[in-house]
Amino acid sequence: MAKSAQNKIQRQPFLPLWVIVIGSGVAAAIALYPLFGKAYIVALLGKFLCYAIFALSIDLIWGFAGILSLGQAVYFGTGAYFVALSLKISYATEHPTRYGGNIPDFMEWNGLTEVPGFMQPLIHLPFAVACALIIPTLLAFIFGVITFKRHIYGVYCAVITLAESIILQDFIIEYQAYTGGFNGITDFGHYSSTYFLWFILAITVLCFLVGRLLTHSRVGTILKSVRDNDVRAEFLGYNVANYRIFVFCFSAFLAATAGAMYGAWVGLVSFLDTGPVFSIEAVIWTAVGGRGTIIGAFVGTFLVNGAAFFLSGVLADFWQLIMGGLFIFVVLVMRDGIVGTLAKWLRRRRDGTISQMVEESDRQAADRQRDFQSGGGTKEPEEI
Amino acid sequence: MTKALEITNLTTRVSGYTILKDLSLSVEQNELRVLLGPNGAGKTTLIDMITGRYKPNAGKIAFYGKDITGKSPDIIFREGISRKFQVPNLYETLSIFDNVMLSLKGKRTVMQNLLRRTTGEEVDRIWEVLELVHLAERAADPADSLSHGERQWLELGMMVASSPKLLLFDEPTTGMTEHGKLQTADLIVKIAEHHTVLLVEHDMHIVRRIAKKVSVLHQGQMLAEGTLDEIVHNEMVQQVYLGKGGDTVAA
Repeated sequence: MAKSAQNKIQRQPFLPLWVIVIGSGVAAAIALYPLFGKAYIVALLGKFLCYAIFALSIDLIWGFAGILSLGQAVYFGTGAYFVALSLKISYATEHPTRYGGNIPDFMEWNGLTEVPGFMQPLIHLPFAVACALIIPTLLAFIFGVITFKRHIYGVYCAVITLAESIILQDFIIEYQAYTGGFNGITDFGHYSSTYFLWFILAITVLCFLVGRLLTHSRVGTILKSVRDNDVRAEFLGYNVANYRIFVFCFSAFLAATAGAMYGAWVGLVSFLDTGPVFSIEAVIWTAVGGRGTIIGAFVGTFLVNGAAFFLSGVLADFWQLIMGGLFIFVVLVMRDGIVGTLAKWLRRRRDGTISQMVEESDRQAADRQRDFQSGGGTKEPEEI
Repeated sequence: MTKALEITNLTTRVSGYTILKDLSLSVEQNELRVLLGPNGAGKTTLIDMITGRYKPNAGKIAFYGKDITGKSPDIIFREGISRKFQVPNLYETLSIFDNVMLSLKGKRTVMQNLLRRTTGEEVDRIWEVLELVHLAERAADPADSLSHGERQWLELGMMVASSPKLLLFDEPTTGMTEHGKLQTADLIVKIAEHHTVLLVEHDMHIVRRIAKKVSVLHQGQMLAEGTLDEIVHNEMVQQVYLGKGGDTVAA
């Protein structure tokens, strides 16, 4: 049996040592920062962690399953809205508006005199959190069944998700009595405490571990196979639509989790958090970090958002141009993103020197040539 | 004994063209049947029908007595039919080992695969298949690093790994060297010892080497069936091929 190949096949460990070491280091740094750092950076950290989970949800469907969704913010935003509404309704009962009402201000100035019946249960936060997690997943399931069972994927699927996102955005703006419309929902208390940051950090770590678990499993390999060649997968007995629906719902659940925490942490939720621009931003973070690598989602999110924050302060006039330039650079030059390119480079170094690679590609070229050498005509013509 | 494959009066129309016309064909258990026919005769369409890629307009396909007409490809695979494409369909970025692993007969639903580990037995079987197709040394390499001939053989290996009852080969020697074609023919004969095989082929060298019973398709209908000798001396067949010699009857 081919020993060297067998060694390479040996399953990769669930978490390579360097991931555990660096990951723990980063997590510890984030956890300790609030104890001595600036408050506005702490606010950013919490936000970025939520964004990282959102990017992870995109990496799972895009990097591993090959589904590009340009409207994943629908699930993030819905999660955020449920939590924000709940907190706002609770807040309003204790902090009357200047007209004396105990209902959220946006409801009041839209003419409502009390919280609508169907929204009243949201005053209970646990119920709202449950809604925030379950309803987006359900929406994703319905979308998945409608789209994937009909074998709609690729560009068409991307466009449909984009449309979904725009529709939700418009819906939120339209029904402003219930959603706060253009202004969004804000003024419902401050929850950005150190304990909450630790909670968000813990959930982020958990999400990434679960993401790794999924992609490291047989289902992960099957998803990659569906991405590579869904015809082959179907003809080998796999129900491709079901796998796509599964990963899409899983991704929506993660996005909803991120959104729910985000809504409470940031204290402002608006239609922008459900829209196509935000969705596409997350796709870009994933691309920059490296899609199809779990860690890439985290790296890309923090890098891009960190750079944007830093540059907008330092180069207020040009930072958006620089960001745009970065995206173009990544797409053209570093297709695998930062983590992907790094991983490839390290693998090449481990597998051999340049001369070995040259030798290897020469050998492959020779093989190909040998295979294609005319075998079509024969030496002895056959009578038929 | 129930026939492995029984096709009755299969008719398929695409964009107004009738590709298969009232086609009937049956294959016995453990038989190695060769399907010949010029380009456009409908051979690949027939395989598409059997494997569920497209639904026929009329007719019935029965597999070991069970009606599989119009079912979806993944269900037909699970019934025990495995298909090799003319241009190899592989998982490009996955390793050769993984390509074979995913082909193994076994659980296919999402729930069943969530916590699944590859068993020792399955690993042994994968190595067995890799040895059979001479790809054991390259097991860790991604499928897109293979040469064309090797890709054909990987797909062959994947079919064998799926332990099917019926194997459908669609011109498996396309693009190979003479030597490669002969090796492939021998491998197919070996596989056919314990499986039912339906082989679509153009190359008369290969057909001569392995054929027992041959079915000739022409313009969507069965032109002639019999041993290779009978076919070669059949007037209608000779007419269709314009009586020309040559080991490839491709247009």
